[in-house]
Amino acid sequence: MSRKPAAAAGPAPAPSQLGVWWGHHLHSIAFSLGRALRKPWATLLTVLVMALALALPLGLSVALDNLSRLAGTVQQSKDIDVFLKPEIDVASARTLAEGLRKRGDVAGILVRTPDEGLAELRERGGLAGAIDALGENPLPSLLVITPKGDDALLATSVQGMPQVDLVRRDAQWRQRLDGWLRFGTRLVQVLALLLGLGALLVVGNTVRLDIQSRREEIGVLQLLGASDGFIRRPFLYLGAWYGLAAGAIALGLLVACGLALRGPLSALSASYGSHFVLSGLDFGRAGLVLLGTTLLGWLGAGLVTEHFLRQTRPTET
Amino acid sequence: MSLLRFDNVSKRYPGGHEALTEVGFEVDEGEMLFVTGHSGAGKSTLLRLIQLTERPSRGAVLFGERNLLKVRGGQMALHRRSVGVVYQDHRLLMDRSIAENVALPLILRGTRRAEIGKRVRAALDRMGLGAREKALPSQLSAGEQQRVGIARAIVAEPPLLIADEPTGNLDPTLAAEIMELFASLPARGTSVLVASHDLALIKRMRKRVLILDHGRLADDIRPEDLAE
Repeated sequence: MSRKPAAAAGPAPAPSQLGVWWGHHLHSIAFSLGRALRKPWATLLTVLVMALALALPLGLSVALDNLSRLAGTVQQSKDIDVFLKPEIDVASARTLAEGLRKRGDVAGILVRTPDEGLAELRERGGLAGAIDALGENPLPSLLVITPKGDDALLATSVQGMPQVDLVRRDAQWRQRLDGWLRFGTRLVQVLALLLGLGALLVVGNTVRLDIQSRREEIGVLQLLGASDGFIRRPFLYLGAWYGLAAGAIALGLLVACGLALRGPLSALSASYGSHFVLSGLDFGRAGLVLLGTTLLGWLGAGLVTEHFLRQTRPTET
Repeated sequence: MSLLRFDNVSKRYPGGHEALTEVGFEVDEGEMLFVTGHSGAGKSTLLRLIQLTERPSRGAVLFGERNLLKVRGGQMALHRRSVGVVYQDHRLLMDRSIAENVALPLILRGTRRAEIGKRVRAALDRMGLGAREKALPSQLSAGEQQRVGIARAIVAEPPLLIADEPTGNLDPTLAAEIMELFASLPARGTSVLVASHDLALIKRMRKRVLILDHGRLADDIRPEDLAE
């Protein structure tokens, strides 16, 4: 009898590599889920700590998104409002606008007559009664200039014209808001990095403890011929389950906070005549968050398991 | 045909203790043999080198055409699946049923579920444990646990089975039964290497015996020599 040493088991038909791989993955998925559910309190604690760590940067990110959306309305007022002197009639205002339109630093110009201004005021401000009481229209003609290039220089130049009474430009305020938004975005990034690292360590430490408690079992499996992948896989899935559950809870917390804040915020914005509504993460971004937290859990478990496996490999002496 | 060959193998542990010194022997396919010697003679180190939990400091261990010194990464796991091992302390997974324990080598090989069930039942029946497949190891006696360990080692019919003091915890009758079972394996294509210091049992089995003394191979006694 001649028989080569081989890994195949006896006369049974050898399953395909893909079948073996898939079988091992199914085994790991079921085993890791069972392991997490067998210790519900420990699992819940781990997941909650992770969820809170993830919810903070996520919440800040959503808040910033809303602020950016709100600021977007302000961004639209990038235009320069030029109020002409009361004695400048509409025809002169249009002539002045034609002259300005030819400048290289002007992208567009809109003439708003006193009548149009008054009509708008009636509609938006609820001041119809007061305006009627005035008898005559007190509003001047208004040129709304959309700048092209350096809007500060354009504003200064227009301010010097004899027909101009007042130039209103919100650039400085806008720049400050932009600065705050940039700072907020960076803050969210730094927090996400730090708290993401924290979540990674939480998973890593939990998996490390699990590995310690199963050290003997892992040793036996290694002696029986379990590959590193076979040993590693249940822990990777365990980390992934933790990450997925923590991501789902973090999203749930965000939704709950959003629901709690939405009513009061809508009332507040309505009192300023705005229809601003707080918005949360859409399905696409929520999916990305879940994917990210799952990968985070997988990575934390992978780092710890790899470290453990490196320690258990035989060395030459 | 040679299944296992030790070529002048030495093993020195960190700290300087030399557990094996220039040991050389061959094991043929379908052969059963014992390795014996006093405590600390190097029996366990020899088994560890075969199982690749240690590597030799000098010399080469050949398993078939495979030089174990060159086996790395995933190949190491594949090699271990080719060697069934029976431990004196059983090394069973205490939170899994005995059927699940016995199934492990088959799961690692990716054997189909239905085939696993069939083989596990057959191996447990052979060990007289067929009725207790759902029991946990902690519900069994030491002897029964040893039989579970043996069932796990033979279930995948590996080319080589090594056993480290497999009868240490067993009564003489059971020990003799286990040895008879080992003796039946070569006919099924499995070579068997048993480390034991039970000279009476070794003598009764009338198989080839390697005698280790302070890490050196002191003697290699063939069955025909024993007869004399």
